[in-house]
Amino acid sequence: MVKLKINGTEREAQAPAQRLLLDFLRYDLGLTGAKEGCGVGVCGACTVLVDGELFASCLTLAAAIEGAEVTTIEGIADQGRLHPVQQAFIDHGGFQCGICTPGQIIAAKALLDFNPQPTEDEIKQWMMGNLCRCTGYYGIINSVAAAARNTRNNAPRQPTDD
Amino acid sequence: MAIYSAIGSSITRGEGPDKVTGKSLYAADITLPGMLWGKALRSPFPHARIVSLDTSRARAVPGVRAVITAADLPDSLVGRRLRDMPVLARGVVRFAGEKVAAVAADDPAAAEEALLLIDVEYEELPPIFDAAAAMSPGAPALHPAMSSYEGLPQPPSGINNVFAHITWGQGDVAQGFAEADLVFEHSFNAQLMHQAYIEPHACLVSAEPSGKAQVWVNNKDPYALREQLAAVWGLPEERIVLHPCSIGGDFGGKGSFMDAPLCYYLSLHSGRPVKMVMDYIQELMAANPRHPAVMTIKSGVKRDGALVARQARVVFDSGAYGAFKPTVYLRGADHLCGVYRIPHARIDSYMVYTNNVPKGHMRSPAKPQVVFAVESHTDLIAREMGLDPYEFRRINLLRDGDSSPVGHQWREIRADETLRRAAQSAGWDTPKPAKPGTLTGRGLAITDLSQGVGRFAARVSIGASGRPKLHMAFWDTGTGSHTVLRQMVAQELSVPVDEVDIELLDTSEMPFSSGSGGTRVTYTAGQAVVGAARELRRQLIRAAAPLLDSPEEDVSLHSGRVVVGPSPQRPAYYRTIAIGEVAAHAPAANHGEAGIVAEYEFASEPPDVTSFCAQAAEVEIDPETGAITVTRFVTAHDVGAILNPLLHQGQVEGGVIQGLGYALMEELQTEDGHISTLSFGDYKIPTSADIPPLTTVLVEGASGPAPYRSKGIGESANIPVAAAIANAVTDAIGAPITNLPLTAEKAMTAIKNRESGN
Ligand code: FES
Ligand code: FES
Repeated sequence: MVKLKINGTEREAQAPAQRLLLDFLRYDLGLTGAKEGCGVGVCGACTVLVDGELFASCLTLAAAIEGAEVTTIEGIADQGRLHPVQQAFIDHGGFQCGICTPGQIIAAKALLDFNPQPTEDEIKQWMMGNLCRCTGYYGIINSVAAAARNTRNNAPRQPTDD
Repeated sequence: MAIYSAIGSSITRGEGPDKVTGKSLYAADITLPGMLWGKALRSPFPHARIVSLDTSRARAVPGVRAVITAADLPDSLVGRRLRDMPVLARGVVRFAGEKVAAVAADDPAAAEEALLLIDVEYEELPPIFDAAAAMSPGAPALHPAMSSYEGLPQPPSGINNVFAHITWGQGDVAQGFAEADLVFEHSFNAQLMHQAYIEPHACLVSAEPSGKAQVWVNNKDPYALREQLAAVWGLPEERIVLHPCSIGGDFGGKGSFMDAPLCYYLSLHSGRPVKMVMDYIQELMAANPRHPAVMTIKSGVKRDGALVARQARVVFDSGAYGAFKPTVYLRGADHLCGVYRIPHARIDSYMVYTNNVPKGHMRSPAKPQVVFAVESHTDLIAREMGLDPYEFRRINLLRDGDSSPVGHQWREIRADETLRRAAQSAGWDTPKPAKPGTLTGRGLAITDLSQGVGRFAARVSIGASGRPKLHMAFWDTGTGSHTVLRQMVAQELSVPVDEVDIELLDTSEMPFSSGSGGTRVTYTAGQAVVGAARELRRQLIRAAAPLLDSPEEDVSLHSGRVVVGPSPQRPAYYRTIAIGEVAAHAPAANHGEAGIVAEYEFASEPPDVTSFCAQAAEVEIDPETGAITVTRFVTAHDVGAILNPLLHQGQVEGGVIQGLGYALMEELQTEDGHISTLSFGDYKIPTSADIPPLTTVLVEGASGPAPYRSKGIGESANIPVAAAIANAVTDAIGAPITNLPLTAEKAMTAIKNRESGN
């Protein structure tokens, strides 16, 4: 039995000891937002947050992070309201086929959580671990930069009670 | 005067919210009750006879529901056109990675375990890895039954292992060379490349007891696939249903059937739905990568720089099979003579069997290879003649009235303007930036691409809600085509784009449509969608006229309403009715609720207009390491109306960066027929840190064949990139690199050779 807190909810499922977090999410829990690309920790399609840190779920054993808090792409929007990073990816051509997008958005959110006003160079360096074959990255970089701008613009108006 | 409000706007993607929240379902995300996992055992040898195959131990693994080999399948071959590939190897394997057996089990681990317990005895046969060697008379014939295969474009040429020898040209090259003052000849090599879509091939097949097969697969061409599956399974097409799913990147690679034919047999033998998902190792080892090419071009030139003759030859290594090519040969090889006025030209292209991985299509098949060759050749001639490469091109570029080297008569040839705009934007006539301690160079390249043809069926309906709905069996590969097609409906029916819905149907619910590819979507699908929307508009007007008590001529659509007015310019209409209300009055349509439905099928003709793309690269080379950095890139496009600037630009940028990967870093390396770059760690594609400053120049004003005089943009940006960068590298070093990719190591060799005067 593996027990994790996923997107704020306690989830548990029977899984063999060798179960990768990615497979645990996708097959045991039916959360198919995280994708398998390379399967070896290089492409970033399977990226999730584990206790706030970026993890390649294709390299992580589910049992090894027992009890941790996991955030997947399904948990980024706030009650149906898109996160600024998600909205920016729509508005600025941050995705095409969308297969890399869950990982890109998780990575971008982690960047902005840690560095709300990254320079273009910082964005490029940070996002290096998330491959995209469709966009040529220009749209992704614009999206992350726009999300940073929007977050800043919205900052004073952010409600304090949630 | 039409007012195009929906057309030309950067409308964001309708599927955007699903894509950014993880809701979009791709083939690997879909499950069915009782579903099993399928896995294939692959050959470790590039060429071998299968002496024996024993699956008894595999069958005994708990959870295993089916184990199959060729002996369990009908003896039939599969192919997109040329049917030369067995579903599972029968008696012989022809490449390392060929499937020899398959397992379906309750979970992936059981299937993997069973694969390890399949005993295969092989007897190795001498392999052939070099296409030129395969063509020599003494080489063993890899497909002795070639002449019996269905789908050959012509009777076998008689050249060993060549299954397609296609030629293009015009004039008489012997005469042309006799007229030439100078003759130049160069050879080039282009490498084996993977499409590197991030989503591996996946399929889910349910062979139902009723005899129907339900199929979910990340294939962009569902009707063509249905034909291929029907032929190999021996089922009528009506019994095969392909269901929509999101496709995680295509770039030409998702047009092949891959595991779908096999997956059906696993389902049939287990009595359960079966899902097969390739892992990325299998993708890099045994999918359908871009053809490597060996090319030689010889040109005859007058002293004033005018080209008079060109003879070109390209040998493509097809690998073990030709089944993954929808036209068997690669039509793009007709670009090997370039976009120049050459009265006497001839191209010979050979498609050759070897014991390498079978190749398929990749974004503008053959063109990146041959344009690298011909545009490098162009610069080398200019250098040898002491001419500026830009001026040399301008002397020879196609102009209105010219016929292309392969005899195309295009109207509205905008090659010169497109090249000029690229050169201008790159500052061609200004001195190169000099950076101490580095070599700097600039290069240009140009090509053209005309939109492909196909067939398409679209249905547009409207019900009481007043929201028009576009119905089609057409999956998006990531380009945003669904949004562009919705824009067309919105435009024709005069409603906001976000009020147009889309319903993706399965293949049983619509007539044949060609899939995404060949830069054909805006043209072929676009004309069908516009046709259906216009028909719906006519019907709306016809239905509304009596309700408004007016003759049809006085009635038009405006902002979601049918209006009566002496002229659409008049600000106020004296009687109007919402389109939803008109639809509500209509008798129930045969496709569901009350409403009006219009359907339109369109078969496109080869357009009489092409589209040019010219690019300029600026590079910096570190003379100590050979490391090449692209410091600036310009891409100029000959375009008509731009339907959606945001999506258009996305195609341009993605194409350029794929071209950059092709130019500088990507290569599937092989050792004795085995691919050795088996992860994205070894097979490097560009990352966000690798992209150069990019300038896009849109040379507007053309009249394309697609609706609203637009032209397609899906492929062109990736074509000349390698040539432009190669020419910049040659300019920087003073000596060329003639084989892709342009690595630091090759740059060092070129630098050393130049220094030692070789
Ligand atoms: S699938 Fe995990 S990093 Fe690629
Ligand atoms: S959007 Fe397709 S791989 Fe990134």
